Amino acid sequence: MLNVLLANLPLLLKGAVVTLYLSAASAALAAVIGVAVALLQLYGDPVTRAAAHVYLYVMRGVPLLVLLFAMYYMLPYTGIDVGATAGGIIVIALYFGAFMAEVFRAAILSVPRGQWDAARALGMYGRLLMLIVVVPQALRIAGPPFVNTCIMLVKGTSLVSIVGLWEVTMAGRQIVERTLAPFQVFGGVAAVYFVICYCLSRYGRWLEKRVSYVH
Amino acid sequence: MKLDFNFILRNLPTFLEGAVVTLELSALAILCSLVWGLVVVTARTAPSRALALAATGYIELVRNTPVLVQMLFIYFGSAVLGAPLSGFAAGLLAMTLQNGGYMAEIYRAGIEAVSQRQVEAGMALGMRRHEVMSIVVLPQAIRKVVPPFTNQAIVMIKDTSLVSSISVAEMTFHAKLLTDRTAAAYEVFLTLAALYLAINAIVSAALRLLERRVAIPT
Amino acid sequence: MVAVRGVSKWFGAHQVLKDVSLDVAAGEVVAVIGPSGSGKTTLLRCVNLLEDFQQGEIRVDGEAVGYAGAGAARRRLPERVIARTRSQVGMVFQSFNLFPHMTVLKNVMVAPVRVKKMPEAEARASAVRLLERVGLADKLDAYPARLSGGQQQRVAIARALAMQPKVILLDEITSALDPELVGEVLAVIRQLARDGMTMMIVTHEMQFAREVAQKVVFMDGGAMIEQGPPRALFADPRTERLQAFLKRFREGYQL
Repeated sequence: MLNVLLANLPLLLKGAVVTLYLSAASAALAAVIGVAVALLQLYGDPVTRAAAHVYLYVMRGVPLLVLLFAMYYMLPYTGIDVGATAGGIIVIALYFGAFMAEVFRAAILSVPRGQWDAARALGMYGRLLMLIVVVPQALRIAGPPFVNTCIMLVKGTSLVSIVGLWEVTMAGRQIVERTLAPFQVFGGVAAVYFVICYCLSRYGRWLEKRVSYVH
Repeated sequence: MKLDFNFILRNLPTFLEGAVVTLELSALAILCSLVWGLVVVTARTAPSRALALAATGYIELVRNTPVLVQMLFIYFGSAVLGAPLSGFAAGLLAMTLQNGGYMAEIYRAGIEAVSQRQVEAGMALGMRRHEVMSIVVLPQAIRKVVPPFTNQAIVMIKDTSLVSSISVAEMTFHAKLLTDRTAAAYEVFLTLAALYLAINAIVSAALRLLERRVAIPT
Repeated sequence: MVAVRGVSKWFGAHQVLKDVSLDVAAGEVVAVIGPSGSGKTTLLRCVNLLEDFQQGEIRVDGEAVGYAGAGAARRRLPERVIARTRSQVGMVFQSFNLFPHMTVLKNVMVAPVRVKKMPEAEARASAVRLLERVGLADKLDAYPARLSGGQQQRVAIARALAMQPKVILLDEITSALDPELVGEVLAVIRQLARDGMTMMIVTHEMQFAREVAQKVVFMDGGAMIEQGPPRALFADPRTERLQAFLKRFREGYQL
C-alpha cells in the first residue's frame, strides 16, 4: 500500500523544502507589508489611507488564485520579468499582507490608551514613543493571530501549483499521474502541510498563553 | 494600458455563466458546512471522551491541510475507487469537510462566549439543562457567531475558484479559457476580479444587515 | 510654578472647562476636588497637554504649554516642544499605566535615558535611589504584573520623580486601589509634600486633601467654584454647591 509513498518520498520531501522556502519568504515579506500598511492606515495622510483601504478591499475580496493568474497572465505584457518563483512569492505576500495588516492594526489599537498617556507624560513622542512603548507591546499581542495567518499562508502556497510552480502539491500531482495512487500520494502531501501547520498552531497556542499581560 | 470595453461586454455572458456555477457552489458549500459544523461541534462537546477526541482530531486535520489538496485527494481518489465524483461534487465535499471544521470552532467559541453566570442564572430560575441551552445560551451564542461566520463565508466564496483546477466551469475557469483564447489578459482578469468583489460586497452587506438585525440593543 | 489663565475646553458642543484660572506656587500642594464629571481630571490633563484646550493659556515655570499666540494667531506648538514641556511635568495616573513589558527598574530608568539622554549608569543610580525612597528596593527586577496595586502606584511615582519634574500632577492615584493599600501610597505623597515638591492633586480623599494641601480648589460643572486654604474651605464653604458637595460626601462616608 505505502510502497508508492516510500518510493517517491525523496521527491515529496524535495517539494516540502520548496514549500517551506516559499512560505518563509512570502511570510517575511507579508509581515513587512502588513506592518507598513497598518501604520499607513493608522497614521498616514488621507491619500495614503485611502490607498491602503483600496488595497485591503481588493485583497480581501479577490481570490488568491485569481491574483496568481493575473500575475502570470498580465505581467508578460508589462515587460516586467521577476521570474515565476519570485512572482508567486510577491503575490502571496501581497495577499496575506492584507490579513497581516489587520492583525497589526488591531494589535496597535489594543495597546491601552493609558500606555500612550504615560509615555507622553514622560516626554516621549513620535518614533521614540512607538519604538519603546507601543511596538513591543503590540508585537506580543499580534503574535498568536500572526501565527494563525502564517498557517493560512502555508496552506495558500499550495495554489501556486495551479499556475505551474513546482512545490509539494505539484510534486504530488506529478507522482499521481505516474503512479495512479492518489490516496497515498495526496495523503503524503497533506501530511507535509499538516506537520508544518500543526507545529505552527501549537506554537501559536503557546504564545497565546505566554503573552497575556495584566494591565 | 487601454482597456477594450467592447471585449468585456461581448464576453459578459460567458462570465455570468461561470458566475452562476460559482454562486451555486458557494451557496451549497456554505449551507453544507453550516450543517456539518453543527454535527462536528456536537461531537466535539459530547460527554463521550472518544467522540470528543475524534472530533478534535478531525478539526485539527482539516484546518491544518490545504483545501486544494483535499480536493485533489477526493477528486482523483474517487476515480481510483471506481466511483468518480464530478469536479463540482469533489469540490463541494472538500469545502464542506474543511469549513465544517472551521464552523464547528466558530460555534464552540460562540457558546463559550456566553458566560457561565448566564447558565447559573437560568438554572437558578428553575430551567433544566436543555432549557437553559435553548432559551438562554443559544440565542446569545448565535449573535456572537454571525461576524466570524461572515468572514468564513467570504473565504469560502473565494475558495470556490480552486475547483477551476479540477475542471469545473466556474468563473475563474472561464476566465482562464478566455485568456488562453484571446490573450486579452487585462480585460479578463479585471472583469473577473470585479465580479468577485461585487459578489463578496453583496454577501457581506447582506450578512452585516443580519448582524444588525440580531444584535442586542445597547 | 503653574499658572492657569481662563482655560476653556469643549468636546464638540459640550463645554467641559469653563474659564478656569488657578495658580500653584513653587513648593505648594494644591488639591482639586469636586464631583465626578466636574472637569477636574480634564483640567489636570490640560496642564501637560494630554488634552487640548481651545481657549486661555497655561504656563509652567513661565513657559507656555502647548500653544503660542492668541486669538486667530493661536497655534499648537510642534510635538517636539510639547514633549519637552511634558518631560518637566510629572504625572501619576489612576490606573498606574506602568509599562508591562519592562521591569520596575527599567520603568523608572527609561525616560531619563531615552528622553533626557542621561547616561545609563547615572539613571540607574537615581532610579535605585528613588525606588528605595518609595520602599521598593527589593523589587527592582520584578515585572509590574507581579506587584500589588499599591506597589505599582509607588513605582509610578518613582517613574515620575526620575525626570526631576518641576511639578507633579496626581490624578486620583488611590481610586483604583484596595482600601488597605491606600495608606502606603498616601504616605509617599506626604513625604514628597514635606520635601517641598510642587504638586497638583485631583483626589476623592477629603481627609488627605485637608491634611497635605496648602490650597484646595473646588470644581463643579467644568467651572472653578471656590478655592482657599483647606481649613477655611471645609469648615466654612461659602457657595451652596460646595456645601451640597461636602454634605453629600459626609453622608456617603457614614454609609
